[in-house]
Amino acid sequence: MSLLSATNLSYHYPQNGRGIPPTNLTVAPGEALLISGPSGCGKSTLARCLTGFIPHLYHGEMRGAVMLDGLVTAVTPLWQLSEKAGLLFQNPAAQMLTETVEDEILFGLENLGLARAAMQRRLEETLQQFGLDSLRQRDPHTLSGGEQQRLALAAVMARRPPLLVLDEPFSMLDTAAAAALVADLQALVAGGTAVIIAEHRAEYVHSLPGLRHMALGNGHIASAMPDAWPFAATDPLELVVEGLRVERNGRTILHDLSFTASGGQIIALVGRNGVGKTTLLRALTGLQTFNGRIHVNNNTPDFGLVFQNPDLQLFNASVRAEILYRLPQPDLAYYRTLLAALGLTAYEETPPLLLSEGEKNRLALAVILMRRPRHGILLDEPSLGQDAAHKAMLLRLMRRIAQTGQLLLMATHDLALAAQADRLLLLGPDGFVADGPPAAVLADPIPWQRIGLRVPNWIHASSPGVEEVPRAAQAATAPGY
Amino acid sequence: MLKAARQTRHIRAQLVTDSPLRQADPRVCLALSLLASLAIMLPMSRLLLFVAFYAVLLGWGKLLPMALRQLWRLKWALLFLFILDWLVVSLELALLVTLRMTLLAGAFAFLVNTTTPGELRLVLQWLRVPHRYAFALSLAFQSIHLLEGEWRAIQEAQQARGAWQPRQWQGWRALPGQLRELLALTVPAIVLTTRRAWALTEAAHARGFDAPHRRPYHRLHMSRSDWLLLITVTLVTAVIAIPFP
Repeated sequence: MSLLSATNLSYHYPQNGRGIPPTNLTVAPGEALLISGPSGCGKSTLARCLTGFIPHLYHGEMRGAVMLDGLVTAVTPLWQLSEKAGLLFQNPAAQMLTETVEDEILFGLENLGLARAAMQRRLEETLQQFGLDSLRQRDPHTLSGGEQQRLALAAVMARRPPLLVLDEPFSMLDTAAAAALVADLQALVAGGTAVIIAEHRAEYVHSLPGLRHMALGNGHIASAMPDAWPFAATDPLELVVEGLRVERNGRTILHDLSFTASGGQIIALVGRNGVGKTTLLRALTGLQTFNGRIHVNNNTPDFGLVFQNPDLQLFNASVRAEILYRLPQPDLAYYRTLLAALGLTAYEETPPLLLSEGEKNRLALAVILMRRPRHGILLDEPSLGQDAAHKAMLLRLMRRIAQTGQLLLMATHDLALAAQADRLLLLGPDGFVADGPPAAVLADPIPWQRIGLRVPNWIHASSPGVEEVPRAAQAATAPGY
Repeated sequence: MLKAARQTRHIRAQLVTDSPLRQADPRVCLALSLLASLAIMLPMSRLLLFVAFYAVLLGWGKLLPMALRQLWRLKWALLFLFILDWLVVSLELALLVTLRMTLLAGAFAFLVNTTTPGELRLVLQWLRVPHRYAFALSLAFQSIHLLEGEWRAIQEAQQARGAWQPRQWQGWRALPGQLRELLALTVPAIVLTTRRAWALTEAAHARGFDAPHRRPYHRLHMSRSDWLLLITVTLVTAVIAIPFP
């Protein structure tokens, strides 16, 4: 007897026609299923179809049928479906509805219509089960990303649905928080809950017992990377940071940080959430006031900063207008090279807001590259929510730019990407705890333990080259799909 | 139950945690804010008296410094209103309008700094506002403090790409360019706000929002000191407002 079944299920969004092709699947109680595939292939859409969010909250063309614990999702109210299937989203901070951890869990229990004593009992059990007891009066917005994701999971699971669906749950977590989430999922599966994980970072969930795979899409980016970047090599440059100290709201974010970096390199900056990685990037671009000195060859640095969230920057009516905005005499040959390199040629006249997340990230990168900063590019979490194809393209692009003598510095949680850099800086609350070639830094567990992170085993198992990162989409697919 | 939670919870920075008014039932806080909002209808002499009384109340509640900070932020808007009314109508009207706006801002600051969105939701439900609307309103209230951070992030992101620069007024000729820059800020702000609202909607539905059998966990409770505070403030307001022969 299956808990969930989808028959000839397909869906297309009305805005851009994207969606999922006809799909069949079944999930039994206590089973774990991984739905993998590249960004934009429809994993999130499928997760919403399986839990009834489509068609109840989204308009569009849905065909086929989904049966959830004997209920036809298309005709059953969403509140009733939510008692059968919990859905956990990508961004934990965006799921926080109340002002305390307790209230966050109680929100779902109130909607079950339980008696007050039963709610109290479930609340205490859930706080214990997910190790949130010491945080019960905290404001969820003040928790770390990992704690927020755990709270979101607890709030959904307090309702005890027989099925849990997770939409890219690891994309915003550091390795320690991701490992903790995997442990929670293992416990849930062992307890008989069926779990569906829509995720392209499949390496995290291989340890789930009896995991089945389902692959969606092929993730190819039509990128034409030039063999050499259009600009000649710049003079040798050296970035010097001396005694950098940043304070905000009475709290010291960066403590007397000093380092030098030469052009022609890709540097990965790794550290826990909130340790000051983004602050360092902002200081290097002059957006953050600081004490200390930052210069490049004794001049003011001129770096381009690519932000984590492309939605902060995009506002024009087309990709072309966005990239060429406020450039009086744009170099159109370079513009064409950028479009081709970033796989955006087909979208030149498309409004940026209609692009997929991966395409928007590439567009935000193009916007900064078109301005041709003299010293290099800084990237804040460039692979966040991105698939292997995007990362491979990004790495190729960074290599081309580094060959011109510019400096590339990326703040990232993604150790697979960091492993491909020329140098890895590991940042802790009191400064750098490790600095060197990525292979050497990743091989030494002690500095990682000092700052509460760990290097997962699959990093050591994979050979250099992001393209070689294991991709679940290419892994064996279980019979029946 | 609610009382205990109000005393122990880790409060967001904007709440004045050591205020005796923060310990009051949220219905009292809302009533005192509404009272001040109604008092703006008073004529000048009585309005002055009420503003003085409200300042004493805020001072007792340790809320005066915060209210003054809020007013300082509004200084240019208040000054603009004052000058406009003075030039177009009269000095008396300018004073009256400015005083009314000051009182309204103070009343709003009072509510924001003593009441959490969740408490506001409980009060609205007590007032028989349907849960979905009470919830939506409290979420909007909760999101106020996020807007400032997002707006700053957008400014930085646009500054980084050269689409916006922090600058002073540069005259009418520069106005079209400055309006275009404003577009670079407002479009992303609208997109981010819409996305956040949608994400919250989905998160709420994932936990059974709109279930017809919903039962609230928290209950409101008026203590003796709450009643005393409410009655005292109402009586003093009545004395100020009602013209006795």
